[in-house]
Amino acid sequence: MLNILIVGNGQCGNRILDAINREAFGKKSRFAKFYSQQKYKSNVQTIAINTAVNDLREMKFTKAKDRIHIPHLHGVGANRNVGKHVFDENKTHIMRQIEERGHFDVCFVMTSASGGTGSSFTPMLVKELKEKYDYPVYALVVLPFREEGTLYLQNAAFCLRDIRESGADGIILADNQYLKQMGGNVESAYNGINDMIARRILFLLDALDSEMMMVTDLGDFKTVMSGGAGLATIGFYEAESELPVRGAIQKALSPSGLLFSTDVYEEASRAMIIIRGDRERLSIDEISTEVEKLSSAVGHVFKGIIVRDGELPQVLAVLTLESASELESLYAIAVDAIKQERDKKDRVANVKEVDRAFSQIDGMDPSY
Amino acid sequence: MVRSYRLLVISACMVFFCLALAGNASATVELYNKTIEMGDGYQINNYVIDVTDVFSDANTASFYVYNNNNKVKEFLLSTGDSFEFDFEGDAKVKVTLLSVGSGTLPVARVSIVISNYKISDIYMNDIVDGGHKYATYSGTPNLKITKTVDKSEIGVGDLVRVTVTVENIGDDRAVDVIFQDPQQAKFVLYDTFVTHTGQTTVNVGESKTLFVYQLKATESGTYPLLPTTASFSNTASLKFPQASSNSPVVTVGASESLVSAELEFTTTLDKYTVNRNDDIQGTIKIKNNGDTPATAVTVSILVPDGLDFKGGSGIETISGTPTIYLESFGVQQEKEISFTLKAADVGTYTISSKISYLFNNGVDTQLQQVSSDSVTNSIYVTKGKYDYLFEQPLYMYAAPLIIIGAIAGWIFYRHKQYKF
Ligand SMILES: Nc1nc2c(ncn2[C@@H]2O[C@H](COP(=O)(O)OP(=O)(O)OP(=O)(O)O)[C@@H](O)[C@H]2O)c(=O)[nH]1
Ligand SMILES: [Mg+2]
Repeated sequence: MLNILIVGNGQCGNRILDAINREAFGKKSRFAKFYSQQKYKSNVQTIAINTAVNDLREMKFTKAKDRIHIPHLHGVGANRNVGKHVFDENKTHIMRQIEERGHFDVCFVMTSASGGTGSSFTPMLVKELKEKYDYPVYALVVLPFREEGTLYLQNAAFCLRDIRESGADGIILADNQYLKQMGGNVESAYNGINDMIARRILFLLDALDSEMMMVTDLGDFKTVMSGGAGLATIGFYEAESELPVRGAIQKALSPSGLLFSTDVYEEASRAMIIIRGDRERLSIDEISTEVEKLSSAVGHVFKGIIVRDGELPQVLAVLTLESASELESLYAIAVDAIKQERDKKDRVANVKEVDRAFSQIDGMDPSY
Repeated sequence: MVRSYRLLVISACMVFFCLALAGNASATVELYNKTIEMGDGYQINNYVIDVTDVFSDANTASFYVYNNNNKVKEFLLSTGDSFEFDFEGDAKVKVTLLSVGSGTLPVARVSIVISNYKISDIYMNDIVDGGHKYATYSGTPNLKITKTVDKSEIGVGDLVRVTVTVENIGDDRAVDVIFQDPQQAKFVLYDTFVTHTGQTTVNVGESKTLFVYQLKATESGTYPLLPTTASFSNTASLKFPQASSNSPVVTVGASESLVSAELEFTTTLDKYTVNRNDDIQGTIKIKNNGDTPATAVTVSILVPDGLDFKGGSGIETISGTPTIYLESFGVQQEKEISFTLKAADVGTYTISSKISYLFNNGVDTQLQQVSSDSVTNSIYVTKGKYDYLFEQPLYMYAAPLIIIGAIAGWIFYRHKQYKF
């Protein structure tokens, strides 16, 4: 049995974590926690960290003792510098909380790249974890909607770089922009995206700790994640009606199945595919054809099959990326955003010069 | 002859007149003999004699006389001279300038003499600093109190509405007014719409409604209503005789024919099908539909075995029977008496009541007695809702309770666990 730690930083991280905890109850009802037990196969510990107490309060399926409030007014207001400072001040407190949870085999840290709290806490937390422990730490990072403004884009760019430099064993990308297809208002889009992520993570955890035939394990996952440019994403498809397993694999690798926009046959460098369902429905021939198609384009593909009686085919694909054209275009906009922000700051500095003009008459009185 | 007779009559009349005057009014009285500063005045009741100028060189002084702030006379006197003017009624006031003096303010020493006046009627005589302008005049408030009734002929038990208004038709404000409206014998106060207590003020020309109430005639006859009275003073705090209203007459006609008290009884229950051990609310409604009051109204409630009488307001249990006793019950009076029963045993029941009362039919001397019975609809008492519980062994209901308790405990535990 694996010991798994999942940390959610900032509002986005908290909410995804809560979605995972809800998904683990298996039921959609908000009262599930009263009559149901979480179905984690492994020993899963979840910790939510935030500066905004309201974000923590909104969580419904995460135990109170798992929510850590770092008091700092009402969040850090998308300012990563403030966020880093606040993390530094509370580092020992946070690390002690993690220490108390015991030993882990793997850790996932979830955050948005563009806010203040999550995006600044995550790289620093990863760094601390890596220094202190020897288990792999993966970051799941949510990229902003492109139209959310220059500050968010700038934060996203720096956050990703910081996480890369923190020693994280891999970054799993989820892109709000790309998942915008969910539609609905922002709130329901967020919930939809969070559910997608939660379902994938749970499926992954389940697969890593399975003792069934042809399994993939944590070792395989580590290998996949260490390939490519340290960036990864996850694809998933769950058949809702009778569908050949080949179709399910294709859908998992298609835009509607992925968390981040990429052409897997072009940009992926390693992959892991986990297929679950009723023995009858999992045609080894179809699976082999599809996996071979992918590995001929990508390289090594780890393959796992979990047999569950009566279940329709479900496919999860973890893909590390060699290149990410989408990320490059994000950085291109981010560079513009950073320039814009700097210009704005310069303009504000000019206003300060106007103040200096006024200050010349400080202490004087007009004479007539 | 005739002439001397007339002379005699005339002189006799004059003697009589003088005597009459002497008896009624005092003779001559000097009210004042001192100095008055120029500009000041001397007030006698509503008259003010102002010393307007003192010419010490010329030994003269000039005077103005005001009545109620209206100038009525002006005259100039040399020392030793007098001037006489008309005062209230036939009275006269004579002002004599005795001397003049010059000081910081010139003064006139005067003698003021009043004649032909009843001294006790002088309510005010004194120096007025600053003259007439500063005098307080005393007028006569005149309160006209009017009592009216809406009908002057009614029958016994009928209502008459009395309205009392007041109007000040005098020339001064009435203050410290206290109205008194005496109670009216042979009538009872039925309802009050407007009433009045305490002291009040009625301004000149003001009119207001003091009392509006309804009286109920209790006996036949012709009754002048007692007048409403008012005691009051004027602004100079002078008390005036009590004012009194008119006395409208109300004739109360006797009803000649036979009268009777007709009491209507209804007993209703809030439910007629109950489970054993449930309560039943009963209501006895009594109404006098007749035209004379009933007395000694007695209602005995006969509760069958299988129902228990638990109590009720105004119900006494007399030798085992719940009984209502009302000394008297007026015309059109209505009363509701409620009581509670408990269904003790399964079965079908009715509740009967024995009712009796007396009344005076207005013709016979002895009282008439009426008695009757009344029975309610059937009451069905069925097996109690939870009766079966008592037929079950303990664990049959202990088990669900324990389960519910455990679930509640678990939910509470979970709630605590997730409450941030
Ligand atoms: N997918 C998803 N994205 C979210 C959610 N909530 C916020 N975001 C995204 O996260 C970014 C903002 O970051 P937050 O996580 O709200 O910020 P924070 O870490 O709480 O930091 P501060 O509030 O600035 O202290 C924006 O790009 C949002 O689009 C969510 O529930 N789901
Ligand atoms: Mg926030």
